Amino acid sequence: MTEASRIVVDGRPMPFHPDDSVALAVLRAGEHPHHGGTICLAGDCGNCIAEVDGVAYVRTCQTPCRPGLVMHRHPAVGAPPLHPAVALDTTTPPPARRISVQRSRAEVVVVGAGESGTAAASAAQRQGRSVTLLDGGQGMEVVAIYAGPTVIVRTPGGMAHIQAEEVIVATGAAELHPVCPGNALVGLVTANAAGQLHAAGVDLGVAVAIGSPPEGVPCTPVSGRLRRFEGHARVTAVVTVDDDGGERTTPCDTVILGLGRAPRDVLSRMAEELPVTVVGPAAASFPLPPAPDAGTVCPCSRVDVDDLASVWDRGFQELELVKRATLAGTGTCQGSVCLPHLRAFIAERSGQTPEPFTARPASRQITLAEAAAGVHVDAFRRTALHDEHVSLGARMDRFGGWWRPWHYGDHVAEYWAVREGVSLGDVSTLGKILVSGPDAVESLERLYPVRVADIRSGRSRYALLLDEGGHLIDDGMILRETETRFALTFTSAGAAHAEMWLRDWIDMWGLRVHVLDRTMSLAAVNVTGPLAGRLLERVGLPAPPRFLQHVHAEIAGVPCHVMRLSFTGEVSFELHHDVHRSVELWRALLANGSDLGIVPHGLQALQGLRLEKGHVIVGMDTELDSTPRRLGMDWAVQMDKAEFVGRSALARTAGLPDQRRLVGLTMPGIAPTEGSPIWSDREVVGHVSSSFTSPLLGHAVMLGWLKRAPFPDTVTVDGRAAAVVRPPFYDPEGSRARA
Amino acid sequence: MLVLETLHGLRVIAAPASLDGVRWSEGTIVLRFAPDEAFALGATEVQIPDEYAIVVHESAFVGSWLTREELADSVLPHIEWPLPERRPSLAQGFVAGVPAKLWLDGDRALLLCAAAYVHELADRLG
Repeated sequence: MTEASRIVVDGRPMPFHPDDSVALAVLRAGEHPHHGGTICLAGDCGNCIAEVDGVAYVRTCQTPCRPGLVMHRHPAVGAPPLHPAVALDTTTPPPARRISVQRSRAEVVVVGAGESGTAAASAAQRQGRSVTLLDGGQGMEVVAIYAGPTVIVRTPGGMAHIQAEEVIVATGAAELHPVCPGNALVGLVTANAAGQLHAAGVDLGVAVAIGSPPEGVPCTPVSGRLRRFEGHARVTAVVTVDDDGGERTTPCDTVILGLGRAPRDVLSRMAEELPVTVVGPAAASFPLPPAPDAGTVCPCSRVDVDDLASVWDRGFQELELVKRATLAGTGTCQGSVCLPHLRAFIAERSGQTPEPFTARPASRQITLAEAAAGVHVDAFRRTALHDEHVSLGARMDRFGGWWRPWHYGDHVAEYWAVREGVSLGDVSTLGKILVSGPDAVESLERLYPVRVADIRSGRSRYALLLDEGGHLIDDGMILRETETRFALTFTSAGAAHAEMWLRDWIDMWGLRVHVLDRTMSLAAVNVTGPLAGRLLERVGLPAPPRFLQHVHAEIAGVPCHVMRLSFTGEVSFELHHDVHRSVELWRALLANGSDLGIVPHGLQALQGLRLEKGHVIVGMDTELDSTPRRLGMDWAVQMDKAEFVGRSALARTAGLPDQRRLVGLTMPGIAPTEGSPIWSDREVVGHVSSSFTSPLLGHAVMLGWLKRAPFPDTVTVDGRAAAVVRPPFYDPEGSRARA
Repeated sequence: MLVLETLHGLRVIAAPASLDGVRWSEGTIVLRFAPDEAFALGATEVQIPDEYAIVVHESAFVGSWLTREELADSVLPHIEWPLPERRPSLAQGFVAGVPAKLWLDGDRALLLCAAAYVHELADRLG
């Protein structure tokens, strides 16, 4: 025997014959591919599953042998061990093991190329319909049918997803497994498996047959009802019961079991309410086996008759409940082995035969790579400055659908650059929408709770965006360009929703307004810090706009929309510009600010800077039902306006007592972790939404939710006393931003 | 690796009827993203009878022209929606999980997406 015709089983070489499956080769060697249990060689049960070439739960009877294939038996008890796929370095992703997906469409998919499947395919073809015929024996193994219907197929080259108009399941029938004491021994085979083994030249030893014996296989038929198998590890005898109740013991090496059949209907059981037709034996009604009274019913989940009796006695007397209570039918074969016996068990006790239970995809064990084939993780966007950040040493992370710099190595230095000098922030991710039309003012008056009509061209106003319930869904700036045109900004994470929000309302109101989302068309750089104006003078803006004004100007030769506002608490100018000029602008600003100590700042510094000012971040400091009152932002709502989205809800609830409030908190020392519970009188009364150890103030500042009135003046966070204060914590007059 | 290059043109938001009536320069490819929105590749100016129209120079899309074979090999395995039969036509949806568009014209196709997604699309299509 050459090496070329060996597989390796549990570390030992094992020869195989051409056309052997792995299970057959193991059985030929006188061993069992698992640790016992009836062998069917039809792929119906889990009694031959093993780890093959590193993949667990492989049905070895359906796996052809090939030289060098490595098989490991699963442990007799418990699940196979997980292999250490990667080292403990979690920053380095493991190499991708990608499985390709071939997507296609078909009028008719027929599953099963046996007699009934072939006939169904021919009939469909005669009707002029295109037919795709799939059969596991030909390497096209259907493992699931989803809504669509979409047929999921495992093929030698990867996965195939076929969207069909109709699916015909013609998967035939499976042989029944025995349920009685000793049914986990080695040496039990179904009649069909015995035929295959005999044809392959496997010596069955002294073989006896229970039920219908296979044709052409030397064996001794044994009459009577099956009672138990005897033996230690391997069967040595079968015990049957005659009609008069007498037991008869028949010594043997192999027991061949022709106990009947059941529909091979896993696929059809997962496809109820879909255009799926079942034909042939898969649709047939076979007699149930006798109700089991002892032995393992579900080998996959190791459920025995005593387990069934136990849950039955506790009131779980429907098939689905028995399944859930015992986990019978939830294992590797999805009930192919145990379902007929479970139904027989319930039928005997209840007098009614239950319908089969639902099967869940997949009908076969598939790998995570196969399950994930064709599925993509969310795509995260990069700003035009992404490579600039990386080259500056930024640690990039995902926020609001974008890759953004968290810091450039020292967030405290970045913080001080903003507070004392000048710094750049990439705010390209902000939502940016243009609206234009004769009804632009009217539409914005209805959308925002602030007055819009009195914003003069070249001026801007901060605004909340509320839903119909008066809850905050986003915030940003309204910048007036002309009488009929406005630029709007939104949060990075909220931009896409904000666009839909605007369009939906404007359409519903029938107003004449055009809307253009420019979020991904415009980049934006925030130039911030007390020296920001001096930097802009150097690069072509000798007279920067005043606070809340905006102008169009060339900065370092790049056309920009310059917006004067402030999120950091310092003088700030947002430079909105075409994305393909962004790198040029960024580099010019850094070069011209080098003697001013300019450094870029990341989100870590920005979140602290804005927290010192008490600015909320929507989604971080707000909850789904955060109203302006709860946020302490009533000042941003003008209830004397005739109408705006959310106004009626705010008016209705204005007089009601409120149990929630976003407050400022301060405490000495290092800031507690965001999300920390807030305690008062030994009870949790809220949580911290944002926290920062302020380098300037020398203590911790926080925003947090108190959810119980009356609101205390002092609370405990992280085991330390914290004072409840009214933000902002820094420059409450706002003089620095307006300087 | 698929190479997607910046596409320059005009992006126009206007009343649908006004957009319908625009006479673009000979050979201009106009991608009608929506009834009120068009992206005219290579265009630098447009006359449109809508005083409130938004007309901006656009350079935030990247694209790559594909042959029929390249489309079949590189893109179709990564989409779960049917391509329109009519030519020319614009199809929009996820390609390999990335929001993208396909301009289908005769034997060729223009695959385009927002520049912010180019790294994802190029990586996923390989």
